[in-house]
Amino acid sequence: MKYLKCTLFVALVALVSSCESDYLEPVPTSAISSANYYTTPEEVETAVLNIYDGIQGVFDFGMDENRALQLEFYLTEMRSDNTRTKSSEGEAAQFESFAVEATNGIVANYYQSYYNVIYRANVALENITAAGDMADKLEAEAKFLRAYAYFNLVRLFGDIPLVDRVISPADKATPYARVSTSQIYDLIVSDLTVAAAGLDNSSSYRASKAAAQTLLAKVHLNKGNYLEAQQLCEAVVGSGNYSLEANFKDVFYNEGNDEVIFAVGYIGDSDESQNFSSEFLNAVGRTSGVNYVTQDAKAALDAKGGERTMYSYRIDSGQTTQNQVAKYIPNGDAALGIEATSSDPQKAGNDWVVLRYADVLLLHVEAILAGGNSTSSAAALSSFNAVRNRAGLADDSDSSITKQELMDERRVELAFENHRLFDLMRMGAAQEVLSAFATSTGVSFTSSDLLLPIPQREINLSGGEMKQNPGY
Amino acid sequence: MKHLFDFKLGLITKTLSMFAAVLLLTITTSCEDEVYPVAGSFPDKTPPSAAFSATQGVGFDNEWKTFSFSNQSSSATDFSWDFGDGNSSTEFEPSNVYPGEGTFTVTLTATDKLSVSSTYSEDIVIVEPEAPSAVIPPILEAGFEDNSLPDGTGDGRDSWRLSGAGVIQITSSPVYNGSQAAKFPSAGDRAGYQALEVTPNSDYTLSYYYTMKTSGSGNITVWILPGEVTEFSQIDTSEAIASFVGTDQSDANTYVKVDLPFNTGANDKVAILITNEGVESRLDDVSISAD
Repeated sequence: MKYLKCTLFVALVALVSSCESDYLEPVPTSAISSANYYTTPEEVETAVLNIYDGIQGVFDFGMDENRALQLEFYLTEMRSDNTRTKSSEGEAAQFESFAVEATNGIVANYYQSYYNVIYRANVALENITAAGDMADKLEAEAKFLRAYAYFNLVRLFGDIPLVDRVISPADKATPYARVSTSQIYDLIVSDLTVAAAGLDNSSSYRASKAAAQTLLAKVHLNKGNYLEAQQLCEAVVGSGNYSLEANFKDVFYNEGNDEVIFAVGYIGDSDESQNFSSEFLNAVGRTSGVNYVTQDAKAALDAKGGERTMYSYRIDSGQTTQNQVAKYIPNGDAALGIEATSSDPQKAGNDWVVLRYADVLLLHVEAILAGGNSTSSAAALSSFNAVRNRAGLADDSDSSITKQELMDERRVELAFENHRLFDLMRMGAAQEVLSAFATSTGVSFTSSDLLLPIPQREINLSGGEMKQNPGY
Repeated sequence: MKHLFDFKLGLITKTLSMFAAVLLLTITTSCEDEVYPVAGSFPDKTPPSAAFSATQGVGFDNEWKTFSFSNQSSSATDFSWDFGDGNSSTEFEPSNVYPGEGTFTVTLTATDKLSVSSTYSEDIVIVEPEAPSAVIPPILEAGFEDNSLPDGTGDGRDSWRLSGAGVIQITSSPVYNGSQAAKFPSAGDRAGYQALEVTPNSDYTLSYYYTMKTSGSGNITVWILPGEVTEFSQIDTSEAIASFVGTDQSDANTYVKVDLPFNTGANDKVAILITNEGVESRLDDVSISAD
């Protein structure tokens, strides 16, 4: 497991960089400033590592820290039919009841964290020329990470501010001007195109060509550009750098394996650890249990998971009517043959897998399906059956993959990896599926619940300039 | 925060005794409202705004007739839908099954509790989705005949040229059909090339007829290549989607039919490439069909 050095000081220093050039400017001799720091490729690389650090976040529970990735399950899995809180308490329970409020602190942290990541990327890009020979590669990395941040934000919040350069605190307009999703997508596509051209597949803990291609394929599927998406998926498959792990468990418990295309690494019992793993386990984490598995998801996994089921959820030993996510267990499970990743479960070392090969294979099927009802294309069947066979399941029975079969397969393959909500939205099934799910749990879902509220703090800071999403 | 709450609670308790009187006053003034606005009244400052979007159903049977509506109205509490086909609803987000194809005007009236309303209409055009079928691309000068281009010109091989490769020759005997066929001399320095626009991930069959001289040894090969190139040097036959190596030298005057099936995969364009090696060969009547 690799990790990224914490280089927070770079961001702090950059914040005070807006001095007027009219003043006397003695170059500080005993301190680093952003004006004189980025002079060598190594120094620019620290700016790029700082972006990864922003995404990785901190294990601290403080809501002023960058916590987006570690809180993402609240906004995605718990807002789908996959998971819920154990006890329906507090603002965490707003997600499962589709009653998120604009004042929700978890939503606010997510929004703020990813704009901080975008800021860090913009700092790196602004100083990229100092990187000399490394400039192309570092630019590609920074743009991949910026696109990843925007792709998450645009899918969750809709129209959002477009910040593609370092702005000064005096700029009161840009941070609050919501632009259309199509403009955000233009930046994402342009950034990912640069990233795919400038990177290779040498690391799964740093941005790679395949990671950029996979993310771009997803973007194209969102936009209905099926042929482009298919070509990108086939480029990843054709690279020969990735393969399915023979044993599903190894995807999560043999870190750095060949199935992982892009992961955020963590190291147990260190400053580079994470605490979401423990939050999934009541009595281990700090909460009363979040991201607990719904009956709906359990039923889907029992029926269609095959060998994946036992490594996807397990019974909560403290309360046997409840089920926990089993993909990121921090403190080991002897029965499942899983070892602890740290001695303190709240400082866990389990990596977060962002993109993996099975996802690419199923995206490939989705691209060939091209918005239709079914496909019997040999290429689609080959990808689909590879995922099924690894789970110990037979080939598709009638050699025709329907949209429903694909959605079911994605659900059980990628359960609790924060894909479900985005998949439902992308495949146009969110309103139907989530309305029915809400009815079954006795809550109300309307189509405006698909977008989260813009955090109230942003609207307040904008002096009323920024408009809220409908329904909030 | 707690302090503020206690304070409010106290205020509510203190003013509770005044509440009955206030209520009475409101009731008596409300009938005057209809005739003369009360002094100090003001218009609805947050009037409703009606808006919606519609999504067509997807499925194997008649799902295309079902539309689900997403309500995007603001500042409204009551909704009235007119689906344009005689059906209506007062649900927040209803769905409607339409009788069939046609254009329907859907109207949403959103009303608030001050009885201020807003109306939004949108036409939805319902068309039964066609079963996706592969496009059959035209093959130009498929029989290598003179003046067979759509505009009545052409020398029978204009559509088969590729920069960097020798142009195919034309023969008048033997031919399979018409009065001309393509001829590839034994030197193997000629190539026929034509790009076609196709439907991705679809099965096609390319059919053609060929014959070869009986002496020497060689082949005439037809390749289906992904995409389109502008120079012969850009061609990489190792990327070919499909190919057929013709080696039937039994009779120089008898054409043999070849059916070459292929799947277009992730391509909306493929190209036919015809080359030969060693033996003078002829080829005629190229056609394509979708399976």
